[in-house]
Amino acid sequence: MRSSPALPASPLPAGSRPPAAARRPRLSSRRLWDALSHAYIWAVLVVFILPFLALVGFSFTTRPGEAGVVTNYGYVLDTFGDNLLWSLKISGLTLLINTLVSLPAAYAIVRHSFPGKRLLFSVLTLPLYVPGAVIGISLVLTYNFTYHLTTSMWGLVLAMALGTFPLMLTPVVVALKDLPVIFEEASACLGATRWQTYRRIVLPLIGPGVSAGLLLCFIIVFNEYLVTLFVHPPGLTTAPLRVFNQIRTAGLAPTTAALAVTMQLISLAAVLLFFRLFGARHLKGTYLL
Amino acid sequence: MSTVRLASITKHFGTTVAVHEFDLEVADGEFVTLLGPSGCGKTTTLRMIAGLVEPTGGRVWFDDQDVTFLPPRARNIGFVFQTPALFPHLSVAENVGFGLSVKGARKAAIASRVEEMLAMVDLTGYGARTPSQLSGGQQQRVALARVLATDPRVLLFDEPLSALDKNLRESLKFAIRELQRRTGKTSIYVTHDQSEAFAISDRIVVMNGGRVEQIGSQTEIYLRPRTGFVAEFIGANNALPGTVVALEPVSGTSGQSGEHRFRIRSGELTLSCRSRLPVAVGDAVVAYLRPEDLAVVDDDGAEYRNVVEGEVERVIFEGPTAQLRIRVAGREMRVDVGGSRRLTLTEGDRRVRLGFDDLNVVPADTASADGGSGGSGGSGGSGGDGSAEPVSA
Repeated sequence: MRSSPALPASPLPAGSRPPAAARRPRLSSRRLWDALSHAYIWAVLVVFILPFLALVGFSFTTRPGEAGVVTNYGYVLDTFGDNLLWSLKISGLTLLINTLVSLPAAYAIVRHSFPGKRLLFSVLTLPLYVPGAVIGISLVLTYNFTYHLTTSMWGLVLAMALGTFPLMLTPVVVALKDLPVIFEEASACLGATRWQTYRRIVLPLIGPGVSAGLLLCFIIVFNEYLVTLFVHPPGLTTAPLRVFNQIRTAGLAPTTAALAVTMQLISLAAVLLFFRLFGARHLKGTYLL
Repeated sequence: MSTVRLASITKHFGTTVAVHEFDLEVADGEFVTLLGPSGCGKTTTLRMIAGLVEPTGGRVWFDDQDVTFLPPRARNIGFVFQTPALFPHLSVAENVGFGLSVKGARKAAIASRVEEMLAMVDLTGYGARTPSQLSGGQQQRVALARVLATDPRVLLFDEPLSALDKNLRESLKFAIRELQRRTGKTSIYVTHDQSEAFAISDRIVVMNGGRVEQIGSQTEIYLRPRTGFVAEFIGANNALPGTVVALEPVSGTSGQSGEHRFRIRSGELTLSCRSRLPVAVGDAVVAYLRPEDLAVVDDDGAEYRNVVEGEVERVIFEGPTAQLRIRVAGREMRVDVGGSRRLTLTEGDRRVRLGFDDLNVVPADTASADGGSGGSGGSGGSGGDGSAEPVSA
């Protein structure tokens, strides 16, 4: 529409100027391409979100002979709180352990050289490639040698940390590799101790990596079912475990859907919270921030 | 403020020798520049002074304190890096106050010091901005303010201007010198840019292959280079390899202390030279002649110690001067002429007469026309460019 005025004045004589008509279709084909791209993105979004929308819709329905919508979520509030609390507790403790393990480990791996460094990093990321069932069985076997781990939540927390800390370690390693060492040198030359440098310079600057790691771990741990099934101590039922139990016993009921929706909302809230807390420059300009 | 002393400081990286037994004494308040091509060990030396690199051997002293193995934070230094390295998540004021803040200074004290420092680098009122809102030159000035805020004993600069564009480099290099004068800080500055080194230094250390080639003032380094490397690295120079053929007594008036005169034979030319080097007849030397020290003479050139004839091959008009390429005895020499002479000379078969005073010479084994005098400390051989005279041992 503004093709000809937008073009810079051509220094060429009129005869050799490419005709304006040759340009117009090119521009409009680009617009077409843009429109198609946008349509594609939205289509993908709808396809991915549709099942979730179905779930939400189902959670608001009632079955004959049962009470109304409010009751579905009332049921969640009444009986699900305990399971959610366990899930949050387990997730929180797992994140704490992952943080305490991953931050120093990532720093050592990136900033120092020692024999067997590459091997160590490979071994550390191994749990990512091991199927949950295998981890579950191995842990059940291992925990049999102890008493405490099979009867307290720590067995579960340890299992979660074991399976997920590579998810924390990897983004932190990447963030540290991208952080020029010059900031640390500048800090050291200004008189900062190693700890001051780490806390005031390194940690804020690798924040996005840390937040990505924490987020991944949280989502995985909060929704983890398989390993939990193997190692959860008697009397401790996490939220996903409860959802599965519910499906097994009550079938696909609206109350079950309400449970699932609640879990989903908590995960979403966690995403937004982590980005707010630790910064997410990589998400600036998207729908999230 | 303090003196800095390096005692045969050495750094090996694996089997590579980055710095070899480097000795240097920097006086209190002095501005010393380490100048050399990339990879000559100047930055490594600076980083050893800062404590960012631990030396393989030798000692670093600040005044009477042996700081060789102290971490950087315990040395009270100010290090200005090649890039400003401002902490991107902190404001300008927080950057400048960082050094004081990690030492636990009170907020009010930090704030007033930050104000003072920003005023010093002409950035009053920029404290609330983030580094990304500043231009490259402003960022480097904040970096200066940041290191000065902690009142360091020694200022260390690692090519602080190399990332900036030319005009900014010009103004900032004088700003650095001015700040250094005003604060009286002992400073060590690393650069590969000789005009930078000449503009701001009290003394210059020319380095090559991890070794010191020469330490001296600008004039000493430019006019009396002691090695072939220095002669060729600093400015333009015509190299004339030759052999000493005769020694002359120094005539009282013009001889500088410790210098003596002699004649060398270089190809078909016999040239009058002067040097502080002890030379004997038969020694292989390389004589150096600056393009601006050659004059085109119309008469017999009796006022010059040396007169040669040559053919003008090329005239390159460069504005204030013209660069001539003149073939003298089979060797092309560069001659820079100014004034009206630069307009009257033309290319062609014209023969001209060139006059010049005594040449400065260096021993042939220090010359490295190909720039490859790393580490090995060649044993009295050729000038390296293959055109040297036969050597007599």
